[in-house]
Amino acid sequence: MNEKWKKVDRSSMPTAEDTRPGLTYWQDVWRRFRKNWLAMAGLVLVILIALLAVIGPMFSPYSYADQQLELSNLPPRLAITKLSDGLYAYVHKEFKLIQVSEDGDVLGPVKLIDDDLVLRTRTYELDGKEIKFDYSLANKKGNKQKFSDYGYNYRIFVDGKEIDPTPVKTTQNKTFVLGTDRLGRDMWTRTLYGARISLSVGVVAALVNMIIGVIYGGIAGYEGGMIDNVMMRIVDLINSIPLMLIVILLMVVIGKSGFGTIIVTIGLVYWVSMARQVRGQVLSLKEQEYVLAARTLGASKSRIIMRHLIPNALGPIVVSMTMSIPNAIFTESFLSFVGLGVSAPQASWGTLANDALGAIRSFPYQLIIPSVAIAITMFAFNFVGDGLRDALDPRLRK
Amino acid sequence: MADMPLVEVKNLKKYFTKEKGLFAKPQYIKAVDDVSFSIAKGETLGLVGESGCGKSTTGRTIIRLYEPTAGQIIFEGTDIAKLPEKKLMPYRRDMQMIFQDPYASLDSRMTVADIIGEAFDIHKLGSAAEKAEVVATLLDRVGLKREHASRYPHEFSGGQRQRIGIARALAVRPKFIICDEPISALDVSIQAQAVNMLEDLQKELGLTYLFIAHDLSMVKHISNRIGVMYLGKLVELAPSGELYAQPLHPYTQALLSAIPVPDPAKAEEKQRIMLEGEVPSPLNPPSGCRFCTRCQYRMPRCQEEEPQLREVAPGHFAACHLLDR
Repeated sequence: MNEKWKKVDRSSMPTAEDTRPGLTYWQDVWRRFRKNWLAMAGLVLVILIALLAVIGPMFSPYSYADQQLELSNLPPRLAITKLSDGLYAYVHKEFKLIQVSEDGDVLGPVKLIDDDLVLRTRTYELDGKEIKFDYSLANKKGNKQKFSDYGYNYRIFVDGKEIDPTPVKTTQNKTFVLGTDRLGRDMWTRTLYGARISLSVGVVAALVNMIIGVIYGGIAGYEGGMIDNVMMRIVDLINSIPLMLIVILLMVVIGKSGFGTIIVTIGLVYWVSMARQVRGQVLSLKEQEYVLAARTLGASKSRIIMRHLIPNALGPIVVSMTMSIPNAIFTESFLSFVGLGVSAPQASWGTLANDALGAIRSFPYQLIIPSVAIAITMFAFNFVGDGLRDALDPRLRK
Repeated sequence: MADMPLVEVKNLKKYFTKEKGLFAKPQYIKAVDDVSFSIAKGETLGLVGESGCGKSTTGRTIIRLYEPTAGQIIFEGTDIAKLPEKKLMPYRRDMQMIFQDPYASLDSRMTVADIIGEAFDIHKLGSAAEKAEVVATLLDRVGLKREHASRYPHEFSGGQRQRIGIARALAVRPKFIICDEPISALDVSIQAQAVNMLEDLQKELGLTYLFIAHDLSMVKHISNRIGVMYLGKLVELAPSGELYAQPLHPYTQALLSAIPVPDPAKAEEKQRIMLEGEVPSPLNPPSGCRFCTRCQYRMPRCQEEEPQLREVAPGHFAACHLLDR
């Protein structure tokens, strides 16, 4: 006989303890977040960037402020010219010779004996050899560009004999991984240092959003009426003052521009849009029947806001928060760009990009590096935000 | 003392202010206008009326989700209409509400255990272990399984969700439950189950219900007495059998004639009283009797004088000038 249809004794049924253990809300969120590989990639990137920002500069032999003017504007990839056996040099775009090893270690500037500005030649001494660098072919104003037999606008003579300046190979710059800027400062160190400033600004924006914005918006939305009116007019007031004006006024109060001023400015301003958004959410959620049910049970206002309204508005809050981070990073870059942000020698990604603008044609890598850093950070935060939004919504649970 | 009603509502008014212009006089929507009734212990009072007549507002005002504009709500001898929230706390345990929409009335971010146990946390009724035990018994009581406690509301069907809502209301061991159209959002096949469960719970726990609905046949089944509301006013209040057998107010008669009859032959001969026009706006209700614009028996007097609710037969109240003879 088929036993499948036999009546089951109730006592043999699984009890609550035997069935799968209940997941807490956050365990469940994490379980769903993990399945989203794009969000996980974003999270890994964010953690990586944060780690690099915190501990990266400690492992760098250079500080963000060390200048080596003779080693300025070195690119991350070096095209190496062979001068003679065992002697290699990098021909700098500013018609300078930098001694490098065959593997791409920067050994330092070649000793300059004579710099003839009329004949446009430079004479170097290296390892007992006299090296003459002739850049008289190079374009002078109004003249037509001329080239040597080797196809270059400069010629190199080693002990009086012209050599082929064609690079024998292109290798990674091992001394300055991402090259140097126009003052010979290590770009890698400066980029990491910029990550510190940019991420701190992002974290402050997120915290302010989270604490002031959410609570302020929650109270305004829940209380409604007159209180809401007054609170929202204050928000309008803050929102109506231009950001620049606030920064300039704060600079007068604090006394100098710099990281502190930026933090205070972002702290003062960045919770406003979040407060508006949370208020809107709360306004629509507070009429929901589950809120009424909590009220009939006698739940206090703070309990209703913290336990019911904010968790239910968490999706938009998280998305808005992750959006505010790159936004704040942009604001900081912008303020640094116009000279109201961090001041030299401190570096943020904004100042790095700004510094590179002057030499964008000759040394584009100086602009690409901070731009890529900003782009990666923004992608990472956006992916995390999207993933969190999906994970925080139990209705999407599979 | 035995005859003292559990809940007595006297001249309850709830006006909502309409968004006022800068110089305009504020306008009031008289959602509930001078309603009085009482409910005895263990009784079920049904409240019917078309949409927008103020029956849900009455329920929500009694449980103090809305601040009453005027009037008294006397619960076990205490007027709770004006009590501040703090002093209201003990009464929050005695009165509970079951909501209409089982999809909106449960917080989707909380597990079933959290939803049912919330009262435990708010009123600090005991330890976590006691709370888990109470949640489990309540789940048994409303016909759900104990292992459902760790799940989220969206994993349940409408009927199951409504059971969770009922379990939440029972968690504080209330004496009085306001059922605000508890079954109208449910599938017809589930409605009977829910109503029977409410009846069983009433017998077991000695509950008193205020049952708000617009399904007349179902209200007749569950209620001892029925109140009929029209535009914020109570127009008729009578024991349910009598109300159906002998409706006195023209509005009640029209309502009852709208109940479909499941027999086509009988339906043929049945006269449906068609009401003319729409419900007037509660912002600007007609003078005199509020029903006079749509009443087929209207007299000149109806527009001038507002009829009072008075006892026409023992236990049968109605507000209509036709009954003055």
